[in-house]
Amino acid sequence: MARVTDAMRRRFAWGAARLAPVVTLLAAWEIFARSGAVTPFMLPAPSAVTERICEDALGGDLFVNIGATLYRALMGFAIAAVGGVVLGAVMARNALARWFFDPIISVGFPMPKIAFLPVIILWLGLYDVSKITMVVLDAIFPVVTATVAGIASVEKELLWSARNMGAKDRELLWQILLPAALPQILTGLQVALPIALIVVVVTEMQMGGYGLGGAMMQASRFANSRGVFAGIVEIAIIGYALVAAMAWLRRRLLAWHQEGREG
Amino acid sequence: MDNPAQIIIENVSHHYRPAVGREVLALESVSLQVREREFLALVGPSGCGKSTLLYLIGGFLPIDTGKIMVDGKPAAGPGPDRGIVFQNFALFPWKTVRKNVLYGLERQALPRAEREARAQAFIDLVGLTGFEESYPSHLSGGMKQRAAIARTLAFDPRMLLMDEPFGALDAQTRSLMQSELLAIWEKTRKTVIFVTHDVHEAVYLAERVAVMTARPGRIKAIIDTSFDKDDPEVHRSKIFVDKVDEVWTLVRDEAVKALEKQRP
Ligand SMILES: Nc1ncnc2c1ncn2[C@@H]1O[C@H](COP(=O)(O)OP(=O)(O)OP(=O)(O)O)[C@@H](O)[C@H]1O
Ligand SMILES: [Mg+2]
Repeated sequence: MARVTDAMRRRFAWGAARLAPVVTLLAAWEIFARSGAVTPFMLPAPSAVTERICEDALGGDLFVNIGATLYRALMGFAIAAVGGVVLGAVMARNALARWFFDPIISVGFPMPKIAFLPVIILWLGLYDVSKITMVVLDAIFPVVTATVAGIASVEKELLWSARNMGAKDRELLWQILLPAALPQILTGLQVALPIALIVVVVTEMQMGGYGLGGAMMQASRFANSRGVFAGIVEIAIIGYALVAAMAWLRRRLLAWHQEGREG
Repeated sequence: MDNPAQIIIENVSHHYRPAVGREVLALESVSLQVREREFLALVGPSGCGKSTLLYLIGGFLPIDTGKIMVDGKPAAGPGPDRGIVFQNFALFPWKTVRKNVLYGLERQALPRAEREARAQAFIDLVGLTGFEESYPSHLSGGMKQRAAIARTLAFDPRMLLMDEPFGALDAQTRSLMQSELLAIWEKTRKTVIFVTHDVHEAVYLAERVAVMTARPGRIKAIIDTSFDKDDPEVHRSKIFVDKVDEVWTLVRDEAVKALEKQRP
């Protein structure tokens, strides 16, 4: 029994230690906001912001906005993930596709895709479709490049070994290349997920309407600083939760990988 | 002993042309015949092209000069008639030991229960009982090597191409695996090409030992080692010691040349 509680105590201590920087930051924020150095309008205290978040939650607005933002971010992310892996796999396997898409990817990746926003609004309007399109446009690049690089770095002996045991050419992609490239593909997805969230919030800020970005712009327009800060905190929490969920998924999927090893 | 030649290698040369760096002539007009059911060992200094020759026979690399015939047909493309054990194991890291061994069996017209039983039998044979559900990254080097051997033996190829298959094993395990391999070979009479750095192992296992020259690899000599090895003390017999000595001298000369070539 003693040992169990020891282990539990250690785990609790770890959790506390990891939370400490966040708690310190919040405490500093609270003290600074109440010190009188700034007005509550410029910097509302975290306690006031929390109060505002609770009000939004009770009124139901919070969940409508989170739902809208998450739906757009995850929908765009899912399309970018599937499309990116498919395009990456085609590029890795087909010289013609590589010749065609390689320059497009090279130019498109570093380009600020937000520049397309006015065009996308003209073409697709102000609603979900245009926001999701913006997310896909931004999030697909890291997935494509990770998939291409992952497939290119698969050891030739793995392919030879499969062919030696009678695998057909068309089986190699699903049975060997994609599983072998999975660690790198997942890294690409882990890069793409926060991008999806960032892009969705930015487009919501531009276009207004439901969603956390839109709600923040609304609050800002009404000079409601508590509302603006509430939005910042909500986005931070959602971003953290999404990234943590993705890391958990990675550990589950890569139990076979070196990094999945315990201790 | 006078079986017809099953693998015929004629004047095969091989260039590696890497995308960056210089072109390497790995093999230069290699000619060699391996009879059906023969056990041939291939020895030679590191980098002389032993793996390359196995890859060519296995049909993994294109043959640009010379020709290789297997069972009367050109060795174009790999096939499950020639099972290879790769020097770096080439286990599928996302599959457990059991799934790795099953991979080749799944492509054969066997009932499921029989596939499972066969996989288990070969896992047991190489001493990996209890590690069926382990992933390769959780195995030691020697265990990976044994898993790779089990995987290739399981799909029952008629020819075995083994690239230093016991290289990562300790002396005891190696000696056990040698006996197992000999037992399998005596029972099923597969044709075996066995690459090794260990001259004792070559003389002990093989009926003939082919010694290769330093890069570019050619066949320098072929030593007949098909004397009676049933005696448990055979390692100390005069003929055994003499044969080891003969092969060893040939290999050492080439190893010295290979080292000299590398010096600026
Ligand atoms: N993919 C490759 N690209 C370029 N050169 C290569 C490649 N693979 C092997 N070589 C060259 O070909 C030569 C023969 O290589 P190979 O792997 O067949 O040697 P080996 O006899 O198996 O050596 P070892 O005993 O160390 O395994 C080496 O000198 C190496 O430099
Ligand atoms: Mg080699």
